[in-house]
Amino acid sequence: MTPFRPVAGFIPPYLLDRIIERGSERQRACARGTLQHVRQLRPNPGPPGLQARQAPAPGRPGQPQRHIHDAEQRMELPGVPRRSEGQAETGDAAVDEAYEALGDTYRFFWDAYGRDSIDGRGFALIGTVHYGDGYENAFWNGEQMVFGDGDGEIFQRFTRALEVVAHELAHGVIESEAALVYVNQSGALNESISDVFGVLTKQYRLGQRADQADWLVGAGLLTERVRGRALRSMAEPGSAYDDPLLGRDPQPAHMRDFIVTRDDNGGVHLNSGIPNRAFYLAATAIGGPAWERAGRIWYDTLLDRRLPNDADFATFAGLTLTQARARFGDASAEARAVAEAWQTVGVEIDP
Amino acid sequence: MNQRTLPPLGPDTVVRLSRQGGVAAMPRLAAPREIQFSDCSEDQRGQVCAVLERCLPVAERAVGGADQRFFQVELRYREANQPSEWIITVPEQRAPGELVELWKRGLRTG
Ligand SMILES: [Zn+2]
Repeated sequence: MTPFRPVAGFIPPYLLDRIIERGSERQRACARGTLQHVRQLRPNPGPPGLQARQAPAPGRPGQPQRHIHDAEQRMELPGVPRRSEGQAETGDAAVDEAYEALGDTYRFFWDAYGRDSIDGRGFALIGTVHYGDGYENAFWNGEQMVFGDGDGEIFQRFTRALEVVAHELAHGVIESEAALVYVNQSGALNESISDVFGVLTKQYRLGQRADQADWLVGAGLLTERVRGRALRSMAEPGSAYDDPLLGRDPQPAHMRDFIVTRDDNGGVHLNSGIPNRAFYLAATAIGGPAWERAGRIWYDTLLDRRLPNDADFATFAGLTLTQARARFGDASAEARAVAEAWQTVGVEIDP
Repeated sequence: MNQRTLPPLGPDTVVRLSRQGGVAAMPRLAAPREIQFSDCSEDQRGQVCAVLERCLPVAERAVGGADQRFFQVELRYREANQPSEWIITVPEQRAPGELVELWKRGLRTG
C-alpha cells in the first residue's frame, strides 16, 4: 500500500514514461511503481472471491436472502438488524424501501438473466440504512450495500430511487465478474454498467418498453429546492440538473467532450455519460423491453472473460458487438443497432 | 515507494483538499479548498502539515470503488527547483477528523 500517489496515477503511460526520463529520483521511483501497477492490471484475473467475513447463508436459487440493518445515524456497519427475509414491514420507510428494492433487483437479475444474486450463487443481500448523519451517498463496500438519508436540503434518502439501490447491487455483480478497475475509462464503464442495470431493474419492475422509460438515474432523489430531475440522464447526459448550488450536470454524451480530470478517479461518474448514451441509443433502436436484447448483450459482455479489467470504451464496445452478433446474428438488427450506437457517441470499434 | 514521510514543503506549496466520488458525485459537491502556504502564518503551515501527517498512515492507493467516497489531498511544491506534485487519497471511513474539519472550514486564523 502506497500512501503517496503521484499525479501520474491518472495519466496515460506515455506521460509516465516522460516523468521517468525527467523527474526527480523520487518521482522516477514512484512513476516506475505506477507503471508496474498499470501493467499488473492487464490480464483479467477472473472473479475475485467476495470477501464477506461473517456472510449470512445464501438463499435458494430464485429466492433472495435479504437482511436490512439500521446504522442509527452512525457510520458503523452493518448496524442493528431490522428486517430479514420473509419478515413483515417495519414502518421505517428506509428499511422497507431497501428491502423491497433489493428484492426487485434480485428478481430482475433472476428473471431476465437467470442470475442468482451478486455472485451467481445466492449471495445474501445485506443493506444498511440510516448510515451517517444526513449522509448524501449510497455505496457497495465489497460485502454489502449502504444508504444514507440525504441532507434533506439537496438530497432525499437514497433508498427512494429503485435504480440507485439496483446500481449499488450491480457494483457487486461487476466486482464478481469483469471487476473493471475503478479509474479512467474502465472506471467509467464500471459506473455505466451499474447505471444500465440500475435503470433496467426499474424498467422491468414497471413493465416499461425502452421508448416509455425516462432513462434517469436517481429520479426523485433531489429535493424540490433543487433545479433538476435526477443525478444523471442516460438519454441526454448533461441535462439532469442545472442549479445555482449544484452547478450544471457536466456529463459528456460524446467522445469529443470526454473529460480528462484527476478528480473522481479520472471522472468515472462523468465520462460514464458516453457509454450510458450508447446503451440508450442501442436499446431504443432495437425497441421493446430494453432488458431483453440490449440488456442481454451488455450482460453477456460483462460475463465475457475476454473483457479485461482495464478495458477502455473501444474494447468494451467491440465486445458488445461481438456478443450481439453471436446471439442475434452477424447481419441482425441488434448488431447493427449496437454498432451505430457506439458510432453515434464517437467510440470507434477496433476492426 | 513506501513513502511515509512528507516531502519538505516550502513557502510556495499549494494544498488542495476535496471530497471525491460517491453515487451522487457532482463536481460542486467535491468543494475543493486551496491553501496557499504563501498566505499562511508559520502556525497555520504547521497546522496543515500536522493534518497531512495524520493522513499518511490511513492513505490508500485504490480508493473510491463502487461509490465509496474519499478525500483527495493534492500537494504542489518545488523540489530542487523543479515543480513537484503528490496526491494522497484517504477513504472517507478512515479520514481523520482534522482533515474533514480542514476541508469543511479551512484554517483557524491567528
Ligand atoms: Zn456507482
